[in-house]
Amino acid sequence: MGDSKNEWELLVPLVPFLLVAPSLKFLAGWESVEAAFLIVVVPLLTFPAILVVGQIYNGNETWKQRYKEGGIFGLGALSLSLSIAIWIIYDYVVGSAHFEAHSVVDPFSWLTFDVIEQTGTQWEVSTGFADIGVGVWIDSVTLMLLFVATFLCFLICWFSLGYMNTDKINEDSNHRFYGEFVLFAIGMFGMVLADNFLWLFIFWEIMGLCSYLLIGFYYWKDSAAYAAKKAFLTTRVGDVFLVVGLLMLYDIYGSLDFAVLFDNPSTGVGGAVVESGELNWALIMLFIGAVGKSAQFPLHVWLPDAMEGPTPVSALIHAATMVNAGLYLVVRMVPFVDVHVNGVAGLEEFALTVAWIGGITAFMAAAIAFVQNDIKKVLAYSTMSQLAYIFTGLGAGLLFLNIDEHHAGYFVIGASMFHLFNHAMAKGMLFMASGSVIHEVHHAHDHVRELSEKYSTNEGDDHGDFDPQDMRNMGGLAARMPVTATAMMLGSMSIIGIPLIGGFWSKEGIIAETWAACLHEEPLMLVPAVLVLATAGMTGFYMTRMWLMTFAGPPKSEVVGHVHETTPWIKEPLIILSVITALGGFALALLGASDYLGDPHHAELSYHGLLDTLEHAFLPEDSYLRLVGWTTMLLAMVIGPVIASRIHGGRLIDGVEASPLVSWLVDLSSRFGSQDVSELADSQLAEALQRRLYFDDLYEVALAKTAIPFAAFSAWFDANVIDGVIKQIESNSATGSVQIRRITTGSARDYILMAAVGMISIFALLWGVSN
Amino acid sequence: MIEASWIAGLGVILFSIGLLGAFTRKNAIVVLMCIEVMLNAANLNFVAGASHYSDVDGWVFTAIAIAIAAAEVAIGLAILLSLYSTQETISLEEANLLRN
Repeated sequence: MGDSKNEWELLVPLVPFLLVAPSLKFLAGWESVEAAFLIVVVPLLTFPAILVVGQIYNGNETWKQRYKEGGIFGLGALSLSLSIAIWIIYDYVVGSAHFEAHSVVDPFSWLTFDVIEQTGTQWEVSTGFADIGVGVWIDSVTLMLLFVATFLCFLICWFSLGYMNTDKINEDSNHRFYGEFVLFAIGMFGMVLADNFLWLFIFWEIMGLCSYLLIGFYYWKDSAAYAAKKAFLTTRVGDVFLVVGLLMLYDIYGSLDFAVLFDNPSTGVGGAVVESGELNWALIMLFIGAVGKSAQFPLHVWLPDAMEGPTPVSALIHAATMVNAGLYLVVRMVPFVDVHVNGVAGLEEFALTVAWIGGITAFMAAAIAFVQNDIKKVLAYSTMSQLAYIFTGLGAGLLFLNIDEHHAGYFVIGASMFHLFNHAMAKGMLFMASGSVIHEVHHAHDHVRELSEKYSTNEGDDHGDFDPQDMRNMGGLAARMPVTATAMMLGSMSIIGIPLIGGFWSKEGIIAETWAACLHEEPLMLVPAVLVLATAGMTGFYMTRMWLMTFAGPPKSEVVGHVHETTPWIKEPLIILSVITALGGFALALLGASDYLGDPHHAELSYHGLLDTLEHAFLPEDSYLRLVGWTTMLLAMVIGPVIASRIHGGRLIDGVEASPLVSWLVDLSSRFGSQDVSELADSQLAEALQRRLYFDDLYEVALAKTAIPFAAFSAWFDANVIDGVIKQIESNSATGSVQIRRITTGSARDYILMAAVGMISIFALLWGVSN
Repeated sequence: MIEASWIAGLGVILFSIGLLGAFTRKNAIVVLMCIEVMLNAANLNFVAGASHYSDVDGWVFTAIAIAIAAAEVAIGLAILLSLYSTQETISLEEANLLRN
């Protein structure tokens, strides 16, 4: 590997990008919000540049070594976006800028058109015209998501420099990767900043496109091409409903601007009172769009297959950012529901739908994660499950808000958003760590194969079925990959909800408030409440299982002995995210992040006091909250991990050392004894879980029964009816012209005869008419 | 004074003779002559009408028709000449380039 000093020199081109934000602030005197458009515009200019330059210099050594096939430019643009995002966040959180509930900058109108209205029997141009502007919408949720998006895009792009550019298979196509990566970043940043639903939808679709392109990055692999199509088409189902929902919203309010919609959601276009009936359906339609994007039941089937893409893509798009778009959309619906400030009452069905879908997905995904052996598939199901937690929390929050329990409502919506933050950080990091594992195992396998080719006469040595993502080929990696093992440990702890780390601070709130909604308000919340509580324990099991299968116990294949954690640029982003995962949740909990994110009237972060925060988390006054909290902790921290340890735990082989904390955990896992579960693994339940509860098969059959016959019928209709008509006309005129040609004899006498006959008939006709 | 209907009847007979000739003859010059006969049958009708109604319009039409017929004959003969120079025949049976 190249010496590390040289590697850092490559980052020198980033310096001008990083200087833009400070120079705008101090030299040009801009407000941070005025620079917000650069977050989107700079990547927008960078992505075609990477693609074009990459195509021209494809294969060039300098381009490869020095500019990492465009990775450096992508990283530069993303670092600029990150720096401006941090500047904005600083201004709003610490500095001078404030928003009442939000703040809007509207630099220019993008699209204006007259609206024609029917008045009586006449169609008239109405006095008000539709005006769709391009603006920036900033509130606490925007700030949080903006940080998540820009920060993770930057870190994962950095990680990609190490992950993508050191694999032979990616050589000469990395500019495609970075181009699409940056295009994705445009979609995500734009969606977060958009100030109306139309722009939100446009950027939403850009992300969908990039997801498709990047899942199909290895398009020559059938499985990848299939997965890309599946992801695109499945999310498309949701998007159709999303468009319907947007049209319904426009019908009710006559605008899609957040400012208009959120200002007074109970008053529709022309001052009409908004009834809950149509709005309920509009919101459910939008929610179906969110379900598709965030891979929730029943549109969840695409996410596990999406892991066919390169690991940085899985980390960024399918774990940390794009799948949060659905959550963001649901959070944007809070003002419609919030009866405390002008919301529309009677939307409980919508809230319950959200909570139920969340609860079902959380449980189902966690159950399927039990039996997955592919390290990325476990994480994919974990992502689904955790997103479903957030949906459940949002559902409970919407329910509270709709019946004017706004304290509880704001709290749980804030907790959900806080969980989004914790989950994005932890899951982005877990995916990068899994990428690190896969990458190093893959390289070790290449190494082993080289050795065996050198020393063995057996030429046909078949390594073709070795899968570097299969955890059954790993084990004992804790000693070989100390940084990755620690990072993955912290990420798993955050996802499980081990006290004081990351996700604990938010997950507790979601579960407790879901139970509160069930016990105090709405008995129908019982199902989601039970499911999320059970999922807490299941999360403990499958995350521990994944970590133990990968890092603990004796090595399960000879490849493990050759793994070295040496690829440049992979460790640094992991370390940064590990710190944030480990400490960020705690720090933000101390600052009251849940209140900040949920409550529109609580627009500041302030220090809450260590003891207060701890007391609030561990010993809440309400006795049932305490019970739910401690049950969650018991399930997630003790029962799940202990069962996982009994099945998969085990010491490292003698003579190898891991870092103290990691080796303590590994030793701990070996103390719970071992349990043989082969009987259970052969059961029908395990088989059903392996087959993902037959959802894929079901959809396949449903498609085979409906869509394919319909397509066949359409093809038949096209070939026989539409083409048939045209072909019939054509063949008839051909035969007709042959007939007509026979009377053009070319003989002058025949023509004279025809003229005479014609004339005589005309005379006869006239004669007949005149008589 | 002869009855106008007799003159018109002669016109009809002349026209029929011309038409029959134009149908049946192969020689282009004869066909041209037949056409002239038909034209003059029409002229005869004009003249008959003019004398019957004591109206000078018929005479005038006839004078114009004769002038035009002269021009038409000149053109017709020129066409026949050029037909002969390219096809080496003036038989209408063989001049059938427009067939099909």
